[in-house]
Amino acid sequence: MNAERPKFIGARVQRFEDIRLLSGTARYIADIDLPNMLHLTFVRAETAHANIVDIDSSGLADLGFPTWVFTGKDTAGLSMKAHQDYPEMQYSEQPLLAEGKVRFVGEPVAVVLAEDAYKAEDAAEHLLVDYDLLPVVGNMEQARDPSIPPLFDGWSSNVIVQRGMKGGDIEAAKAAAAHVFKRTYKTQRQAGVPMEGRGVVAYYNPADRVLTVWSSTQMPHLVRTYISEELGLPESRIRVVAPDVGGGFGVKGQVFGDEILIGWLAMKTGRPVRWIEDRREHLIASIHARDHQHTLEAYVSADGRLLGLKADITVDNGAYSTYPFTSAGEPGMVGKVLPGPYDFRAYEATFRAVATNKCPIGTYRGVARPSAVFSQERLMDDIAKELGLDPFEFRLKNIIRQFPYKNVLGFTYDEGSYAQALEKMQVLLADDVAEAEASRTSSTKRIGVGIACFIEQTAHGTPDFTRRRVPIETGYIAARVDMAPDGEVTIDLGLQNHGQGLETTMAQVAADALGIRPENVYVRHGDTMTTPYSVGTWGSRGGPLGGGAVHVAATKIADKLRAIAAHLLQTKPDQIELVDGRAVQRDNPGSYVEIKKLARIAQRNVEQLPEGMGTGLEAHASVDGAPDGCYSNAVHAAVVEIDVPTGKIKLRRFVVVEDCGTILNPLVVDGQVRGGVVQGIGSAMLEHFIYDAECQPLTTSFADYLMPLAPEIPNIEVHHIETPTPLTPLGAKGLGEGGAIGPAAAIANAVSNALGVAVTSTPLNMNSVWKLSQHLRETA
Amino acid sequence: MIEITLEVNGVKKTLSVEPRRLLADVLRHEFGMSGVHIGCAHGACGCCTVHLDGTPRLSCLTFAVQCDNSSISTVESLGGTTADHPLQKAFRSEHGLQCGYCTPGFLMTLVPFVDEMVIQKRIPEDEEIREAMSGNICRCTGYHGIVSAVRKAVTDGLKSGAA
Repeated sequence: MNAERPKFIGARVQRFEDIRLLSGTARYIADIDLPNMLHLTFVRAETAHANIVDIDSSGLADLGFPTWVFTGKDTAGLSMKAHQDYPEMQYSEQPLLAEGKVRFVGEPVAVVLAEDAYKAEDAAEHLLVDYDLLPVVGNMEQARDPSIPPLFDGWSSNVIVQRGMKGGDIEAAKAAAAHVFKRTYKTQRQAGVPMEGRGVVAYYNPADRVLTVWSSTQMPHLVRTYISEELGLPESRIRVVAPDVGGGFGVKGQVFGDEILIGWLAMKTGRPVRWIEDRREHLIASIHARDHQHTLEAYVSADGRLLGLKADITVDNGAYSTYPFTSAGEPGMVGKVLPGPYDFRAYEATFRAVATNKCPIGTYRGVARPSAVFSQERLMDDIAKELGLDPFEFRLKNIIRQFPYKNVLGFTYDEGSYAQALEKMQVLLADDVAEAEASRTSSTKRIGVGIACFIEQTAHGTPDFTRRRVPIETGYIAARVDMAPDGEVTIDLGLQNHGQGLETTMAQVAADALGIRPENVYVRHGDTMTTPYSVGTWGSRGGPLGGGAVHVAATKIADKLRAIAAHLLQTKPDQIELVDGRAVQRDNPGSYVEIKKLARIAQRNVEQLPEGMGTGLEAHASVDGAPDGCYSNAVHAAVVEIDVPTGKIKLRRFVVVEDCGTILNPLVVDGQVRGGVVQGIGSAMLEHFIYDAECQPLTTSFADYLMPLAPEIPNIEVHHIETPTPLTPLGAKGLGEGGAIGPAAAIANAVSNALGVAVTSTPLNMNSVWKLSQHLRETA
Repeated sequence: MIEITLEVNGVKKTLSVEPRRLLADVLRHEFGMSGVHIGCAHGACGCCTVHLDGTPRLSCLTFAVQCDNSSISTVESLGGTTADHPLQKAFRSEHGLQCGYCTPGFLMTLVPFVDEMVIQKRIPEDEEIREAMSGNICRCTGYHGIVSAVRKAVTDGLKSGAA
């Protein structure tokens, strides 16, 4: 490896995968077409909480075409079990098809299969389900009301789990505080909404007894394991393939019941079965996110130092626990990350997940951290304002500056650039701050500047999961690298690429290790038949751990190439450098062997190998994250302009200063940051999944669930600081999620700044901003 | 069933379709144009945009029977399997795509816009570019790279026109 002289790592290499994505030759789940295939339509619960009295399929007989119907009676006993090993947690199982009861609108009740997708939909309309309605648990307050019956038999209440975590002496911090600030912040229910919905195709081949399941998933190996455990098939006879995946964002980072069900149906019917989710299904029943309420109490000294923080965290989990991160994952993450980038020594958090008759909550880019950082950074601004301190000064007074840093909960932060990022942002925003100040006298147009300073634990290692006793269990990523006799390289990678550019960045990493070009590296992924077992692409682990595994495996091959070259050139392996397709003698550049020739010798002309050396150029490596992961850091800033008479809010500017350690490809890094930021802007200003009091979903199309469109989004300015971490092979930290974490906090702080009010909830749309600016209209 | 004749990417075919079949489904399943992607099927996201007699049209809101005797082009017609249309190249160099699912719709929406700007011999303001893509949703890129790609394609088009 030319660690000292990387040629491709850090270069703006254009993505290889783009060609098929641009030309229309990519194959997504809906493009998987098999002969004799049956098309599946779900019949889903139309009411949020009810007993199923009867399912009548007699109307299907008169349709004049063949149909197949399956209900919970057929799939009895098959379910999704997402249990976290916490003794106090109340467990629920979601049957693959509802058995006796439905608990949210959209829950699958039955499936109808036909030989054409249109006909399957027609037939599904003729399946009649008779419900006996039950009262709903509609929100957090109702879920915590002991007089309302639990959603599941055997439960004592609708609080699924409640736990605490603490460090230091919180009572002492409170006693020592000159100021106590108590605030409650809320972030609304949203959905991740990739542009390609989900979908599953399955086919059982009796000849080799292999069940193949294609799914638009971020975690094919985990889907395989779950199918194996639930259907009792050996993992060796299950092949799960993620084809091209049209966005994931964490939504596709869970195992879904339909992935098991459709595999089962393919075996049951003996025919290939395909289900392509429609947008309404996706919005009401795939997975939701956020829906938090945090009450924070901060203890602050007379000179503006944070002494301690107390937090009470509630997440409206919806009806079921999702696999593999469970109902405890979302609120537990808030408890874990609230200490953030600030230096204080007392902390106590109580977190809980409550059950309601809504779509289950799962992972979505940032996972709990957009909500946690919203509360943390709103609180920092609220405190600064009350103390008469500048938001930058107050943060710089409390920011962590010494690394490695052991936080109040015992988590170790690796080297970062927290203070530098704040200072850099302060310079970048100077003019906006001045303009905002000048607008304070206006009763019609206000400018506001807001920042969010945060860290993000990325590339979590196995211990982080075993500590949480969560069914994901492990965090490593594996890669197998193979150089063929012609010198071309194949990487079989345990990650799955759904937009991250892995087919390019991983090729860059291998190319540097092997002294070849990225164009000569073919990256394969997403197919459990060809790739080594890994947990998939989520948790900001692709670059640091996937890149690390490729580097380690490729380095093993490079070492062997050097040994063969040294033998041929009659020198020592440490005298050989692999560069530009050649194995060159370090102090004698005229003396070299083509790497292609070495590859041929290793596998064809093996008689030329050094005595005792085995044949082949293949290596496997697995890289796990550090016990506490590695911590990326960033400061986000928003500049907003508010038209006071109408509440119209315009995002004028959005700036990011971020540090994700070693940058593998700046094109890709900037793209990930900007894309994440715009999703975060959606969270902050637009996206709201709304239920009525009966838990009927009201935002079931893109006309109601509003996502950012190009005209309302400014160009996103991105600045980098590069602090490589010693905890991953290439010094890279995770960066896929960070962009989405800061915007809600930065924009809310900007609105607070503009209007002189304390924003306590999102989304900050025209309606809510109009309400927040009422006082300015009254005084005008 | 109704008999219709469609010319798709230069290939003419007569087929019998149910009146309710969406143009998107007919293009995908009868003509094999898998580059036509369905993102919402209710006309809000622009993923399924194709050209109907040269004009961008949402193929999820169009019935195939409405298009009898029309000429339709899809993303496959732009730069072939090597994606060498100038706008496709610009999408690649400016990182105007990530997962690629919305990309065919953006390309089919923006190709006529780029062509028009080159004819008008002007490089549009960013606001104008963003407005031109306001009927398409991209969930990955934050639009930044797409705006840059359009600007680059127009710039390149003007250069090659001047040469």
